[in-house]
Amino acid sequence: MGINLDEGEALSTVILCETVDISSAAELKALLVKALGSGKEVRVSLEGEAYLDATAIQLIWAAEREARSGGVGFALAGPVPERISAALLDAGFDRFPAAECAR
Amino acid sequence: MASNADQFKQSFREEAREILVDLEAALLELNENAGDGELVGRVFRGLHTIKGSGSMFGFEELAAFTHNLETAFDEVRNGRLEINPELIDLTLGALDQIRAMLEEGAGGAAPADPAACAEILAKVRRLTGIAAGGAGADGGGKTALAAKPCAASGGAVREWSIRFAPGPDLMLNGTSPLLLLRELRQLGGLSVKASMAAVPPLAELDPERCYVAWEMVLATAVSRDAIRDVFIFVEDHCELSIEAVAGPAGEGLADAAAKALDEPRSQSGGRRTYDKPDTATSLRVPAAKLDQFVDLVGELVTVQARLSELAARRDDPEIAEVSEEIERLTSSLRENSMNIRMLPIRATFEKFRRLVHDLARDLGKDVELTIEGADTELDKTVIDQLSDPLMHLIRNSMDHGIEPRDVRAARGKRPTATIHLSARHSGASVLIGVSDDGGGIDAEAVRSRAVEKGLVDEDAPLTEAETFALIFQPGFSTAKQVTDVSGRGVGMDVVRQRVDSLRGTIDVASNRGTGTSVTLRLPLTLAIIDGLLVGVGDAYFVLPLANTLECIELTTADIERANGKHVANVRGVVVPYIRLREHFDIRTPRPEIEQIMLVETEGGRYGFVVDRVLGDCQTVIKNLGRFYRHVQVVSGATILGNGTVALILDPERLAQDAVRLGRQGLQRGHGAASSAGVAGRGRKREGTGVSAV
Repeated sequence: MGINLDEGEALSTVILCETVDISSAAELKALLVKALGSGKEVRVSLEGEAYLDATAIQLIWAAEREARSGGVGFALAGPVPERISAALLDAGFDRFPAAECAR
Repeated sequence: MASNADQFKQSFREEAREILVDLEAALLELNENAGDGELVGRVFRGLHTIKGSGSMFGFEELAAFTHNLETAFDEVRNGRLEINPELIDLTLGALDQIRAMLEEGAGGAAPADPAACAEILAKVRRLTGIAAGGAGADGGGKTALAAKPCAASGGAVREWSIRFAPGPDLMLNGTSPLLLLRELRQLGGLSVKASMAAVPPLAELDPERCYVAWEMVLATAVSRDAIRDVFIFVEDHCELSIEAVAGPAGEGLADAAAKALDEPRSQSGGRRTYDKPDTATSLRVPAAKLDQFVDLVGELVTVQARLSELAARRDDPEIAEVSEEIERLTSSLRENSMNIRMLPIRATFEKFRRLVHDLARDLGKDVELTIEGADTELDKTVIDQLSDPLMHLIRNSMDHGIEPRDVRAARGKRPTATIHLSARHSGASVLIGVSDDGGGIDAEAVRSRAVEKGLVDEDAPLTEAETFALIFQPGFSTAKQVTDVSGRGVGMDVVRQRVDSLRGTIDVASNRGTGTSVTLRLPLTLAIIDGLLVGVGDAYFVLPLANTLECIELTTADIERANGKHVANVRGVVVPYIRLREHFDIRTPRPEIEQIMLVETEGGRYGFVVDRVLGDCQTVIKNLGRFYRHVQVVSGATILGNGTVALILDPERLAQDAVRLGRQGLQRGHGAASSAGVAGRGRKREGTGVSAV
């Protein structure tokens, strides 16, 4: 399964394992909304062959903005994998949730 | 259910097939007009679109292969390479490989040939003088895309400020903005900044729309047009501006990007096309859905006929009113649904330019293809089945009809021969013509060969048309040797079979020394027609309304005045008529006053004598089935509202048949010999009783 939500006691973790693009963006949005609605801190985990296209990036970006304005913790669960970091930089995203993409 | 990715791939395949057809046509035109810059641009854009979209939808091999051709045409575009027949042929060959790559995974097609791809690319590189680079050299690698066109451009490097904001529907057609940026990066040094200013709150965010916009500065030697070409297939779905940045290149890329970000968008001076009202004028609909729709309309027409019948019997004004309303709506629906399926024959005709080009080269003949009536529309189902017969007719003309160069010269003919494709409407039919200015058919050779093969007796009296019709017999060929092109006697049989299955007819005219003309008469549609319902005894017939002119009475006195001849005097004009009662052997007494339905045919006006005219009707055409397939005068059957079957007549064939029978001195068709002519080919029983259907 490409996208999962792991609801722990203190954290809600959205796990992205495969490519998230327009075909799965609606699912990602639903899980992010659910995670934010849980009142717990939110983590986004990029694992395995995860790859984000523009729809996924803007969803995570919007979720982080919403979390911050609501005082909810929001961060990536671990460093951004090098491959994704490079792709984000190439696409002009020099800031990503809780991680400045190194130039 | 197919995933989005599969759907996008399928959409790309469909679009790419159309682009390939256009590319082929443009290349063939370019072959004749090598200096036409517009054609060069058309070819370049087509290749560019296939490459860009192919890469985006996961056809990496196809994209890498196409990139090399695109580079060649970029060289042509920039005046560094001239168009020549070799480049045209190489590119045409490459299109075949691209087509094969495109269909890989879609089933049904031969895969691309890696050796052929490598050979094409090597030759293209030799022509362009551009060295092979990396794994893309064999056309199968993925790194060919990484080649930087700016390296080949050789001009001065300058900076461009680019703003790209995807429109609402850009991602819905499968485009990935990030891949466009990647492609842009191949043009030179790129500084990018994503703007998230338009991203709405999460709850309001449409997950299938891209709200991110990009401000970029590109340092490159390529032109503005080359930059715009990156966005060529999305430019109607995005906001795009490309402005030259003043100042020396290489200084302050980041500053320029930041400056670009700060500039008010209204000053960008670029195209802004996506936010216009939705003006989409066409939709791509799978043909199967359309067929299903037309089938349902056909069923509706049949049910509506039953309702009309019921309303007539009940004598209830309310039911009658509803019935009439439904009849009116059904009629409009039928007409609209039929129009949706009507397509111009242009695409089918145009694709034969390539066949003629390749065959002319292979046969060492100079042949041009001329096209007339390409906008003639006919049912998609008919068009779909026309390609094969036309291909065989053209191959036959090219191989057997058109003489070698020296023979044409000896006969004082133009060195370049002509194959002419034409289409035009004729009543409820469409006439498709394939003619050539070759040597014509040797009727005597055809006859001798037919006798040799036991198809006709040595002393059989055959008209010229009947003799020519023999070429459509299975296995018939007068060719002395079998070539790659023809000579096995299969092609013409395929033509006949396909035209038969379309309920069409074939006419051949030929003059020794001047050429041959084959005309296919095909129904405009295979589904529903407007008809005129007539009755003879207990039988019902439908005449296509498009053929009918008027109805006049035929009395016993009229018959006596004509001395028993089957002619009527219509306002001073003598019109021959055919009695359906006699033609179909209906053995019921004829009424005192009969009706003559006057119809227009290719051979002139004819009358069909019936007992009564019952009115117009929408007619859903049903096939008669295999057993009656060869009854040419009947083009199908339909079920009337009362459940009765009515035969749909083909006036053209009926008239031809009557003329033929008249010539043979027969008033009825009983016992008519199976003619070798296409018109009457395979005819089993002329007197097919209506009750038997």
